[in-house]
Amino acid sequence: MDFQSCVNIKKEWDIVGARQLGRDISRKIGFGTVDQARIATTISELARNIYLYAGTGKVCFEALEDMNKKGIRIVATDDGPGIQDISQVMEDGFTTSGGLGAGLPGVKRLMDSFDIVSTEEEGTEISVVKWLR
Amino acid sequence: MSTLKLDLENYKELLQEYIKTKDEQALYQAEQFSKHSMQQNISPEEIINVHIQSLQEIYPDMPEYIQSSMNFLLETMISYGLAYQEFQTLREKQLELKSEISVAANMQKTLLSTVKPDLSDIDVGALSVPAKQMNGDYHHFVEDGKGNLGIAVADVIGKGVPAALCMSMIKYSMDSFSGIRTDPSVILGNLNRVVERNVDASMFITMFYGLYNSNDHTFTYSSAGHEPGFYYYKDRDEFEEIDVPGLVLGVSPEVSYKQYEKRVEKGDMIILLTDGVTECRQGDRFIDQEEILHVIKQYSHLPAQGIVDQVYKHFERLQDFQLRDDFTLIILRRNV
Amino acid sequence: MNLSIDVTNNEGVSNVVLTGEVDAFTAPKLKDTLLPLTKEQGHVVEVDFQDVNYMDSTGLGVFISALKSTKEHGATMRLVHMQDRVYRLFKITGLTEIMNIESTVQGGM
Repeated sequence: MDFQSCVNIKKEWDIVGARQLGRDISRKIGFGTVDQARIATTISELARNIYLYAGTGKVCFEALEDMNKKGIRIVATDDGPGIQDISQVMEDGFTTSGGLGAGLPGVKRLMDSFDIVSTEEEGTEISVVKWLR
Repeated sequence: MSTLKLDLENYKELLQEYIKTKDEQALYQAEQFSKHSMQQNISPEEIINVHIQSLQEIYPDMPEYIQSSMNFLLETMISYGLAYQEFQTLREKQLELKSEISVAANMQKTLLSTVKPDLSDIDVGALSVPAKQMNGDYHHFVEDGKGNLGIAVADVIGKGVPAALCMSMIKYSMDSFSGIRTDPSVILGNLNRVVERNVDASMFITMFYGLYNSNDHTFTYSSAGHEPGFYYYKDRDEFEEIDVPGLVLGVSPEVSYKQYEKRVEKGDMIILLTDGVTECRQGDRFIDQEEILHVIKQYSHLPAQGIVDQVYKHFERLQDFQLRDDFTLIILRRNV
Repeated sequence: MNLSIDVTNNEGVSNVVLTGEVDAFTAPKLKDTLLPLTKEQGHVVEVDFQDVNYMDSTGLGVFISALKSTKEHGATMRLVHMQDRVYRLFKITGLTEIMNIESTVQGGM
């Protein structure tokens, strides 16, 4: 397995590619059906955010192996306009998709750890980790 | 995780029993299972997963296409699960807000509390009921110990928290004026300046201010765009609208309010209200003045407080016990 | 309850035709449409109330802030074809004295 694999997000179709790669990697790590579906949903959200708000960016995957646990790290990076008010987008009920998308709070719920760094006019990097149980 | 595993066994048995017997009992237990799962914050995709695993165990030779179709279903459930969790969090937040508001409402009650005066010459009835938790109506009684009773009735545009905040400001300003001059026109003029300087352009307040002098039984009053009250003449058994011109508070910086005076005879009544009383709607129909006066007349044998309470009960019922606006009604009647 | 707002602009005059009810739900929309029109020096805003049969105090608030804005920016506002029930609200609150209002029934209530 590659140490890190990335998918560039330029068009909506790339979201599917990112999901596919992410699912393959998580299956290899040993994640079950439910967690695979959750990881795929997370990837969708992150990739769609890039596609909708930044235009282009990439989603990268990294298999993690600690002393006694395995997991996956997903990092979504773009050089879009950045997020002005992070606390606001992390607030439930704020999702601009009209409550239909999981939004970033949904991503946070699906994953074990969540980190976001955003600079206005420079871009956003969201990094999430899911551990295998 | 252990509880979920425990439930897997349980679920498998239930499913197996249902497939065999098509029994209502098993379905009832399935209902219990789903309620229990919700309490444990188990999302729908996990239940589907339990279903898939149970199927695999019951039918080891399950066709591959069924397995795939179940995985497909599981995938479609993920967003529902997230929406459900979000709903739970929002509900908790809402409860939190609700309790904060009820604390604020209690504070407001204490802050705006006014003591209904107990005077031998005049019988006073007063009631103010908010449509929501916080009251945007305000009424206040001030006695000066020399036989004068000041009565303020005000209504802030809108309802709820913003209206209540605004009302608190009025209350503080009124307190700071007390003891200076009690002419209604002067009080309204001063308040107007405070409101004009301190509130948003689209916010305004209506207020009626009256001063009852129990020494010579005169009632002096001014109005800042407030819903007209009524005067009841005992001798003629007639109502008359107390229609006084005056601009609402907060629109223009300098407004001078006109002041009027009336001699009050024995048995006469002064009825002050907010538009929550005249804007009562019954379905699409507005309740007109005639009806309010009719109800007041019907109960006029009662003490002032009794009349006020009965009028409220009447309109509460007309509105199916759901007030659409804050309701305030004050009745003063000269006894002796 | 709904409110539809139709604006036609013509040589320094904006005609705003309202249809429906102006209440706490529709007032924000009205405010968003009306206020920008009042911020132009010399501009005339005419609001037609022909088909407004109900307005509450929130709606009144919108017209008060519009009035303040016209004064601040040197524009003018006229309210025309106002029905009795709505006119009564402007009359009680003393706004008929400071606003340019033409009711369907002269003298109002």
